[in-house]
Amino acid sequence: MSEVDTKEVVAVKQHIDYCSSCYICSTLCPYEALKKNPETGKVSLEIEKCQVCGLCYSNCPAKAIDTIYYDVASLNRYLERAKQEYESDTLVIMCKGSAPDFAWVERLLGVKKFIPLSVPCVGRVPAEIYLRALLMGIKNINVLACDDDYCRFKRGSSVATNVILGLNPLLEQLGYGRDVITLVRHSLKVKVDTNLCISCGNCVFYCPYNAAKLESPGVVSFDLSLCRGCGLCVAMCPALALELENWEREHISTLIARLSSEMKPPKILVFRCQWAVFPALNGDGEPASNIRAIDLPCASRVDTFHILEALQQGVDGVLIAACSEEDCKQQKASGKAQHSVAKLGERLNQIGLQGRLHFCTVTPRYPERFERELEEFRKRIEAIYSKEGKK
Amino acid sequence: MIITTQKPLDEILDFISPYTNILIAGCDGCTQPPRGLRETKTLSQLLELGGKLRNKGFTFKVTTVAKQCDPYLAAAILRPQMEGVEAVLSLACGIGVQELAQLFPEITVFPAQNTHFMGAEEREKGALEERCAGCGDCLLALTGGICPVARCSKGLLNGACGGSKDGKCELSPDRDCAWVLIYERLKQQGKLERLKEFRPPRDYQLSGWRVTQ
Repeated sequence: MSEVDTKEVVAVKQHIDYCSSCYICSTLCPYEALKKNPETGKVSLEIEKCQVCGLCYSNCPAKAIDTIYYDVASLNRYLERAKQEYESDTLVIMCKGSAPDFAWVERLLGVKKFIPLSVPCVGRVPAEIYLRALLMGIKNINVLACDDDYCRFKRGSSVATNVILGLNPLLEQLGYGRDVITLVRHSLKVKVDTNLCISCGNCVFYCPYNAAKLESPGVVSFDLSLCRGCGLCVAMCPALALELENWEREHISTLIARLSSEMKPPKILVFRCQWAVFPALNGDGEPASNIRAIDLPCASRVDTFHILEALQQGVDGVLIAACSEEDCKQQKASGKAQHSVAKLGERLNQIGLQGRLHFCTVTPRYPERFERELEEFRKRIEAIYSKEGKK
Repeated sequence: MIITTQKPLDEILDFISPYTNILIAGCDGCTQPPRGLRETKTLSQLLELGGKLRNKGFTFKVTTVAKQCDPYLAAAILRPQMEGVEAVLSLACGIGVQELAQLFPEITVFPAQNTHFMGAEEREKGALEERCAGCGDCLLALTGGICPVARCSKGLLNGACGGSKDGKCELSPDRDCAWVLIYERLKQQGKLERLKEFRPPRDYQLSGWRVTQ
């Protein structure tokens, strides 16, 4: 991260001529990446500090900030397409970090069919997208946001709340009815199966937020107001007694099974930390026939169990894309993930499966970095595959 | 805790290759790192993958026992699961493996672990270190809670040897000199006079091989 290639594509850019020096962006930026430049009076961007939350982009009144992720044009394109595809007039905008799987969304919101829009942080969706959706004939908009104090982008959730609070009365005046946009809170939380807990205290040791408590005698309990749903304890529990509610192991297993049956060999499965890689919206470009990805709330949630499961189902290579420790939104959990992946790699070597695992640290700030890692890994796996022939 | 490390997987694969129906038994007891349900499952997945490369299919059943060294507990948990099982792979320490072997004498019980010592985790170094040698004559009360029998390379009872240098042992420079640790601890407690007490040679019989209850 130290040396920055000046030609490298950067995710957030300023059009400094448009900057009207209102400083809304620098007030909103949770990472102090945007600051008033005392010489020019305009705002300057320090890209290394930027976490690509998109709050500046969606709130800049002068359109002086541009981002390559989930901009108005691509969100519009997605909505047009998704409206046809999902045949529904309910839109659900979800924070990827807090969203449960779709079956749970249905239950949680009591809707049968909906148009999903998963973005890293609901705060990055500009107000005009809400209006655009209503213009398209969408009747209800549900926003599934994290609790304000759990927002990984610190302010994203509260910015979304403000947008909704501002829009609803206006829409009512225009005759769209009351509360067209509904805000639903949902944060991922751990749950413990006390029948399986062996009181080993591993979760107490690993939890970065001191949410796990172990009293003697007794099994572990969690203070859910402290839990931030990173899933590190789930991946570390030796007794398999922990789960992330609504993102259970079984759900990930089903997903692995489905994706590996979809792929053509040599199959590559990517576990992406949702804060490390911002994928294109569904339908923006066709995925390669031999690569599929699963987004997780943090790379530390990548259970070695799931990596092995993928290999058992005929996946030839598993790539784990995580944030660097400095960028980790979950207090250095990515380092722990790297350690367990390395350990698993050693064990795979022992049985003769060399080079099938790769852990990389990337950032959405420089979108090409992930592309490069994936490309290199793809070449490596294809080489192994053609050398060994079909199993 | 009893500290163990996993045997190389190809060694385990060699053990179990004559069998098909195998029970993998974890131990939630004192083996460290934990060898519970997750580890049994992970091991079954790894062995299945390894078997596949060797054209050998296995059927694994995975389970875990709170303490394999407790034969009553082990019997209660494992007996109902033994139908059709041709071999058992135990993730316990050597004691657990032997208890299972005694419990199921007609079946081969394989160790999946190498057992090292009674020890604890040294978090700073990310290592597991020996802490107790089971000498049968505990002198921790006199040595500030640091055991020279287990932690001094030479097991000395009356202070450091001449090879102690910068707080490290002459046998391996990354190993702390137990007697320097003891000195520092006693100094902290204001009990340095304890070092002047002479301790006679150990009675090795006390470590023994059997204790009657």
